[in-house]
Amino acid sequence: MTELTKVVMRLDGVADAHRLDVYEANGGYSALRKALGEMKPQEVIDEVKASGLRGKGGAGFPAGLKWSFVPQDHPGPKYLACNADEGEPGTFKDRWIIENNPHEMIEGCIICAYAVGLSHIYVYCRGEFYEGKRKIEQAAKEAYAKGYLGENILGSGFSTHLTVHTGAGSYECGEETALLTSMEGGRGHPKIKPPFPASEGAWRKPTVINNVETLATVPAVITQGAQWHAGMGTEKSKGVKMVCVSGHVERPGIYEVEFGVPASGIINDLAGGVWKGRQLKGYFPGGSSTPVLPAEKADVLYDYESIAEAGSMLGSGALIAFDNETDVVRMAEVITRFYAWESCGKCTPCREGTRWMLQIYERILNGGGRMDDLELLLSICNNLEFKSFCPFGDAAVGVVRSTINLYRDEYEEYIREHKVYRRRFVPVKH
Amino acid sequence: MTVSVQLHPELRKWVEERLSRYPTRRSLLVPTLMQAQKYHDYASPGLMQAVAALLDVPESEVMSVASFYTLIAKHPVGRHIVQVCHNVSCYLRGCDEVIAQLEERLGCKVGETTEDGKFTLITVECLAACGSAPVMMVDEKLYENVTPEQIDRILAEAD
Repeated sequence: MTELTKVVMRLDGVADAHRLDVYEANGGYSALRKALGEMKPQEVIDEVKASGLRGKGGAGFPAGLKWSFVPQDHPGPKYLACNADEGEPGTFKDRWIIENNPHEMIEGCIICAYAVGLSHIYVYCRGEFYEGKRKIEQAAKEAYAKGYLGENILGSGFSTHLTVHTGAGSYECGEETALLTSMEGGRGHPKIKPPFPASEGAWRKPTVINNVETLATVPAVITQGAQWHAGMGTEKSKGVKMVCVSGHVERPGIYEVEFGVPASGIINDLAGGVWKGRQLKGYFPGGSSTPVLPAEKADVLYDYESIAEAGSMLGSGALIAFDNETDVVRMAEVITRFYAWESCGKCTPCREGTRWMLQIYERILNGGGRMDDLELLLSICNNLEFKSFCPFGDAAVGVVRSTINLYRDEYEEYIREHKVYRRRFVPVKH
Repeated sequence: MTVSVQLHPELRKWVEERLSRYPTRRSLLVPTLMQAQKYHDYASPGLMQAVAALLDVPESEVMSVASFYTLIAKHPVGRHIVQVCHNVSCYLRGCDEVIAQLEERLGCKVGETTEDGKFTLITVECLAACGSAPVMMVDEKLYENVTPEQIDRILAEAD
């Protein structure tokens, strides 16, 4: 039986946990007191490194290592960008943290700022999170009033500030360098790396960028120690993950588990299994950007390495399950349209390739597909992948390639029988 | 010809209060265009011209930036914006039926505004609430586990 391990979600079910008094009554800001009072900045970095905490926005990069890349002797300001631009289809964990437990994220931000010496925290929050932005603003106000933010925090001599920065509707702005470009007042275009943001980020100053969930895990790591955190999960994927389960399951929702539990346990034990008594056909293990795995691979362990070995990625931890009655070709078109319309347009392979793929999908769904369209799609995938400044193009090919490989017969049926998908509405780009 | 627009004093105040938090004025461009829609109907050429002057950014760049973001309306829109997700998790749980019902009850297609100017209907990408798909928003309010039967009630809640 797969069980929950609540770390970031430890206050799940506690009424008004977004309020400072409730958060404090439940041990809130004791990690910050410990860090400022008992630990040198380098000790905080070492603790986070030793904990094995990995970035939970998608790439899984070790958080402590990222922090250590920021040059300590850099003159002038350094920044933290907290990535709250949650947009990966299937992912809704950051929304939960922001709306239900914003202080956990803010406390993690302040600890990171102290460890790395960052003078300003920018929480880049997606535009549609109106309630979330209000919650963070309110929580930050409370934290300022209590002396957790601002000048000379808790008498330590350390100062940092927090500003909520709104996005305005763009998936690409969740990519770290595009996020910075957007914050600087530009179109959300990515930048070539290197230089990495740790040496040259926001306004060309050293900048740490971490996901909300990553930062919200930091207080627990400081309070309970690196060994406690490293004792959870697997050898290489240490700790816990908020897994967002959506699609054709009985109980969609967020389930925080240790890395290394079976994906089927998350689907069946926690999310109640496939809905309507149907069978699982396949699933996206980590969001729409990750290749589909078939039902036969539902027993794969939910950690970065095992899922990679199975041919996909853990991504942001968004498990999207679909049942045996799903029209896979239409599903792939829905996702391909998303990538075509959200491509920022900077790099030619991604801008053109995603649109060509969408046109081919539309042709197939309108009954005009050709048998060689499948090879054409796969060829475009090859010309799109790893050819751009950011990983957007790589993300766009996952669903196309995996569904053609796994469910080729369904594509061929559309094409052979000139099957037409009956649309209920005509999508319009705006 | 661009019709000039006077920025709402509250918007100017909102910007002034935040400038000290950033190393450059331009950094406030996207938030300002978002906030402007609380006081102005949409990001008209005149409004963008005024924002350009306020933040010391070339007009053409303000237009370029505005055109990039879907939440910044570049054309007149209805008094209420209905955003309904058409991405994968919502597709798997019946958003197509919800969208069809919205088109029928509003009497306009996706991308259009109702004749009375009350609603603009658009489809959007993932709203990060897939655990309660299908989802939609009316202005700033999120509606979860939406069924076609609920559409009339949801629309009636808008003023």
